[in-house]
Amino acid sequence: MKVLEKSFYSKASMYSFFVVMILFFSMWIGTGQFTKVDYMLFGYMVASFIFFIGMTVRITAWTMRPATHEIIKRSIQNMKNRNRQKRNTKAIAKTLFDNIILQKYIFKRGIYRGIQHWLIAWGCIGSLAITFGLTFGWMHFRLVDATTYQMVVFGIPSISMHPDGLLASLVFEGLNITATMLLIGVIMAIVRRIKNHDLQVTQRPEFDLLPLYILLAMTATGLFLTISYKLLGGWMHPQLQLLHQITTVLFLVYFPFGKLFHLPIRPMAISVPMNYQEEPGVDTKKCLGCGELYSNDDQIADVQTILGKQAFDFQTKDGHQLSDYCTGCRRKIRVMSQLNMNSPLGEAAGPVQTNNGIHLPGFGRGRSEAFYDNRVKEERK
Amino acid sequence: MKKVMYLEFERCIGCRACQAACRECGGHDMKERNYVEYIDFTESRQTFPMLCMQCKDPACAKVCPANAIQITEEGVVLSAMEEKCIGCRNCTFGCPFGIPKFDFEENKMYKCDMCYDRTKHEIAPMCASVCPSDAIRFIDHEEMMELRRKRTQMNLIEGKKPSENDKWQYVPEFFGVYSD
Ligand code: SF4
Ligand code: SF4
Repeated sequence: MKVLEKSFYSKASMYSFFVVMILFFSMWIGTGQFTKVDYMLFGYMVASFIFFIGMTVRITAWTMRPATHEIIKRSIQNMKNRNRQKRNTKAIAKTLFDNIILQKYIFKRGIYRGIQHWLIAWGCIGSLAITFGLTFGWMHFRLVDATTYQMVVFGIPSISMHPDGLLASLVFEGLNITATMLLIGVIMAIVRRIKNHDLQVTQRPEFDLLPLYILLAMTATGLFLTISYKLLGGWMHPQLQLLHQITTVLFLVYFPFGKLFHLPIRPMAISVPMNYQEEPGVDTKKCLGCGELYSNDDQIADVQTILGKQAFDFQTKDGHQLSDYCTGCRRKIRVMSQLNMNSPLGEAAGPVQTNNGIHLPGFGRGRSEAFYDNRVKEERK
Repeated sequence: MKKVMYLEFERCIGCRACQAACRECGGHDMKERNYVEYIDFTESRQTFPMLCMQCKDPACAKVCPANAIQITEEGVVLSAMEEKCIGCRNCTFGCPFGIPKFDFEENKMYKCDMCYDRTKHEIAPMCASVCPSDAIRFIDHEEMMELRRKRTQMNLIEGKKPSENDKWQYVPEFFGVYSD
């Protein structure tokens, strides 16, 4: 791997190269050596390639941060560890179900927010899956005879269905269903952004609002396209088609670089119950100062490694690290040393040596006796 | 931003007005993000207020695996971005002042952001605007330097100037966005 890496400019470019290769060959297989490429989807295809390259670059850059790297390293170690299989499976299943499929924690922040986010999230993921499936030719539909449609996945014929059946309508309407979910969610989100004054205090239009407007433009044009050919007899169809393509390309190209990029970060939540806190809210490590439970050994070890890698020196005088103390003790340590007080917590929190190192003019520098004499005189006046 | 936060712990009378003010702030969900605690309850009833020091090189952001803690151009270290925070609590353990708080229910970290929406317009943060004893102040950089000089003469503080990486060791009495 190391040798291979050296033939590229960077890790990100190496992974991008592989991703593009995989996509290209999957397309080659899916479309029967490019014989069944749908040229109407060309714009989507180019944008999808950019989407995947962007995602690869961003994910690579993100995993190279010391903090991210450390947590992923421990997760992989724990996954390999046979003795932890039970805990791993439970952590993965629970996080997947609660946090990703149901998104319970967002519902706890508010029912409205929960519904809104769930609709956008699954509308988005569904639409992306269908779009990629179709543009890369991973799947397409074939008319076997007058009453049977067949889904062809990677050139392999799979399920057949009656064109009027429930399954067929679900499959054909897939994008419309996900788009409707998206539309409802996005409108809810925009309404919330307009109505909620607390939010306006901290929101940044270009970061928080732009993705919503891009999503809105994409879903609205997409759904209007459906309305056009179903109800309006194809009115304005070519223009709408173009408009939808433009907005979708915009969305796909924007996705890896804006707020929506939190999507690939979320699954990392699995590592919390898997590596650190098995039961939410239950700690196992004692604070050096007060003896209260405040964390767990693995997490503190990781935090200290990450800090060390980034040249943070949080060593206390007794050779421990600040993170060996609970948050309350840490606050106390800082205040005690600031006030130059003796601490019941021992050396770690003892008074700090004053007057050494580099001084600011007038700070802590030994002054001539004359200075103090003058002060005394001034005060007497 | 020329103004800085200035704390004088021994001025604290323990009224907890700053915490009440913090709870009132929009978006805080009625949860305070600052601390008022006893220095040593067995010795005296002296309390101290504690807020985020807005480190120049914030340990909290550097230990966050999700890259959820952002720093504004003025140098204010913001609360975790809700969409990214995976709820690991690394920031809580990394911070030398023990500042970030954690909400297990909603699975997110929240911390003092020096009322960024106010301070960016040079309006005092909620806590500083209500403190009756001036233990928390939002003042000009010049004024802070003057006060600090006086404190050095009383040998109440350490005579060193904190730098980017070791602010935690020295003088947590002045922080925020200081220009020098
Ligand atoms: S005091 Fe703690 S929470 Fe505040 S910026 Fe520094 S490390 Fe982060
Ligand atoms: S709790 Fe959230 S903000 Fe804190 S380190 Fe973990 S992911 Fe980052």
